[in-house]
Amino acid sequence: MTVTRRAFLRGTGRAALGLTVGFRFDLSGFAAAAAAPEFAPNAFIRIGSDNVVRLWAIRSEMGQGVRTLLPMVLADELEADWEKVVIEQAQMGARFKGIRLRTSGSGSAAGTWAPLRKAAATAREMLISAAADQWQVDTSTCRAQSSTVVHVPSGRKLTYGQLATAASKVSVPAKPRLKDVKDFRLVGKPVKRRDALAIVSGSAVYGLDVKLPGTLHAVIARCPYLGGRLVSCDPTPALKISGVKNIIPVRSGFSGGVAVVATNTWAALKGRDALQPVWDKGPNAGFDSEKFMSDLEQSLSQPGFAIRRSGNAQTALAESPVKLEAIYEYPYQAHAPLETMNCTADVRAGSCDIWVPTQAPEASQQEAAKLLGISPDAVQVNVTMLGGGFGRRLQVDYVLEAVEISKAIGKPVQVLWTRDDDMKHGFFQSPKIEQVQAGIDASGKPVAWLHKSCGPDLSVLGLPTEQERKNPNFYSDDGMPWGLFDNPYNFPHHAGDFVPVQSPVPTGPWRAVMYPSTVFARESFLDEIAHASKVDPIELRLRLLAPGDVLDLKSQKINRARLMAVLRLVSEKSRWTSPLQQETGRLWGRGVACNVYSEDCYIAQVAEVSVRKALSDIKVHRIVSAVDCGFALNPLGIEGQTESAIAWGISATLGGKIHFKNGQAQERSFADFKVLRMDQSPLVETHILQGSEMPGGFGETAVPPVAPAIANAIFAATGKRIRRLPITAEKMQNASAVSSTAKESFSG
Amino acid sequence: MPQYSLHINGKLQKVIAEPDTPLLWILRDELELCGTKYGCGVGVCGACTVHENGAAVRACQIAISSAADKRFTTIEGLSSAGEHPCQTAWVEQDVAQCGFCQPGMIMEAAALLNRRPNPSDTEIDEVMSQHVCRCGTYQRIRKAIHHAANRAPEEKST
Repeated sequence: MTVTRRAFLRGTGRAALGLTVGFRFDLSGFAAAAAAPEFAPNAFIRIGSDNVVRLWAIRSEMGQGVRTLLPMVLADELEADWEKVVIEQAQMGARFKGIRLRTSGSGSAAGTWAPLRKAAATAREMLISAAADQWQVDTSTCRAQSSTVVHVPSGRKLTYGQLATAASKVSVPAKPRLKDVKDFRLVGKPVKRRDALAIVSGSAVYGLDVKLPGTLHAVIARCPYLGGRLVSCDPTPALKISGVKNIIPVRSGFSGGVAVVATNTWAALKGRDALQPVWDKGPNAGFDSEKFMSDLEQSLSQPGFAIRRSGNAQTALAESPVKLEAIYEYPYQAHAPLETMNCTADVRAGSCDIWVPTQAPEASQQEAAKLLGISPDAVQVNVTMLGGGFGRRLQVDYVLEAVEISKAIGKPVQVLWTRDDDMKHGFFQSPKIEQVQAGIDASGKPVAWLHKSCGPDLSVLGLPTEQERKNPNFYSDDGMPWGLFDNPYNFPHHAGDFVPVQSPVPTGPWRAVMYPSTVFARESFLDEIAHASKVDPIELRLRLLAPGDVLDLKSQKINRARLMAVLRLVSEKSRWTSPLQQETGRLWGRGVACNVYSEDCYIAQVAEVSVRKALSDIKVHRIVSAVDCGFALNPLGIEGQTESAIAWGISATLGGKIHFKNGQAQERSFADFKVLRMDQSPLVETHILQGSEMPGGFGETAVPPVAPAIANAIFAATGKRIRRLPITAEKMQNASAVSSTAKESFSG
Repeated sequence: MPQYSLHINGKLQKVIAEPDTPLLWILRDELELCGTKYGCGVGVCGACTVHENGAAVRACQIAISSAADKRFTTIEGLSSAGEHPCQTAWVEQDVAQCGFCQPGMIMEAAALLNRRPNPSDTEIDEVMSQHVCRCGTYQRIRKAIHHAANRAPEEKST
């Protein structure tokens, strides 16, 4: 059990970029083999004498547009013709050894920006040198553009293809000159997805679309009880199903079980239905998630780890004339990507090929090698398109199952998880109870802030080891919990604490990781303070961020001025102070929330909601976001990620959650795990402040503010404060009106 | 196992399968038409949407034994080059994110436009809300359908 550290999630991507000698053809079948490449300056770029420029994406495409974004950076710096470049997927093997392929923590843009630019600039300078040599002119008189080198005075031209052979013999420049930002043709401009045509024509290859000759299909009957195990299973009924070949026990995934291997998927599914495995229910057969949440609330009295300390928060709270306190709840959530977990594996003597939609090619390779007792170099991991990742595909449980089965049967196998498997056997978003207290002075200013977060940590079972526990700074050194550690506001007396509590439910990174619960509590509670103090909620935040200085948390620096700027922009763009549309029979309200994602992305959101007067429904009409993620590499991508993250946030705010009863997850499909659909989808507006700083990662930034912005808007509309997600009509009806005067105290 | 003759994308296909095999798995496992996706297997996500005599249906809910005499179109048959007005509108509006739900979305939208050449937002929402997009591309899908509607020649019934 190891804690997934922030550093591990974020990564740096500073891979060494030496010249790669030799070339390994992909075995993947979906990256068409090219003519022998002539110019191979590094792992990311190949230029053939046929003038085809091929660029490798070194992250997994799961909807965030990374197979467009990273090649865009390469193509721009290389001066390659964007319309003609061929984009390939980097695969875990000899070619990319030592280069990070893992996709997590919204780190793809920031982590690859510098190395990709350097790699492409190196190649560009080598091509220019080759041309200058051929023309016997100075390189300064040559210019690269659109996959061609031009000798400016004479107008002579050579294509990259014509230069490929010569360029491969040019010495590698130690310090290639990077393009000036103002000269970018693609970067910083709205660029559409390069995979779009393949996706809309149905030819994009996801995990289950990998077809190898002779592949068998498998599904697994998994132990439904958390921590339970297989006792016995009579294979006879399943073997009677036409097409079923093998019934074998599987131990390598998180929850073991019995695999049914068949010649086609339907036979495997019917075989699984026919099995009646006997399970040992294990130690958690009584586990109930509702009870776990109330146990977590009891754990608030435990000391936990000190995360933030300034002034003397307890004393200041005791001495404050006005004290506020609230408890917030964030439940278990599933990732439920539309493509369920799946993996195709072909284990042969001494080697293994894997085709898998994964965010974690390195871990897939290492763990598969360990399972097989072979060298990682003998395991080729081919990353397909991912039908959604959201953190679930950082786990390798579903990879190892396929490897184990293929080894057992000696044939290639494709393991399919059904939707039911996917709902019940996830690595769920860990639930939290968050307690926040504030002491407010006579002028209405919050002077003391105490935030305690309680729940499983980021490791699979949610607890630090004995050794880790001995370090009082174990979490704070890593900036955990996110959103509590990097609380951007300025309080004279500030205490932040984290109490890790073990859960038998496997948990893991989920979109925005640790931010959703802490930011829900923090930003909701600020709204409560604003109403109690009769201060406008945006104004309150601006006061707490003044004078816009840099908050130095050692491992992170929070630029408060940037957060103030997005708050002001969202206020303007949402027309915060203007009267809201009114409609007979409905109550309308606006709510605001903001956050800093991992020190480099700043976001403020305003939600507009309406609620039927009988409190029988909730409709989110519009969400306006103002964002500053530094240098916005692809504004179109940032808009898309904002829309996507908001949909994600709404699903968790107004949709379903995962219940555990009798040690089993109860939800089975999208019928009982409710996610956002089109009819409830609001108008989303995104306003980008283009910054000159480094690019920040944007895949998750817009998730955390959604829940508090909506909850705050519901309060503005109804006077009902909902502190436990998801928000339902029933909870609104049962909530007491917090303050009858609150609604009049501010606009919106 | 019995043999069935199926009309798929204008071609007659013969497959041998158990009678209760869902069309989805025939398409994917036997015919290697993998644009039709598995999302839930219980008809609540829309990822496996195909056309049955021009109407949108869920391939996971149709047993092969009831599929004879009907004409099916999959995403590959809509236009393999991606030239259907919905496909071009999807590309122009930069709709797709992970893209896994989009073949199903496009098949639903194409069937809708066949019936209602100029649907309102409410009509679009009503039909498209039977589908799940976990990436939340709904706003762009709605826009793409309007764009496709403004330009769509009547799709030939297949």
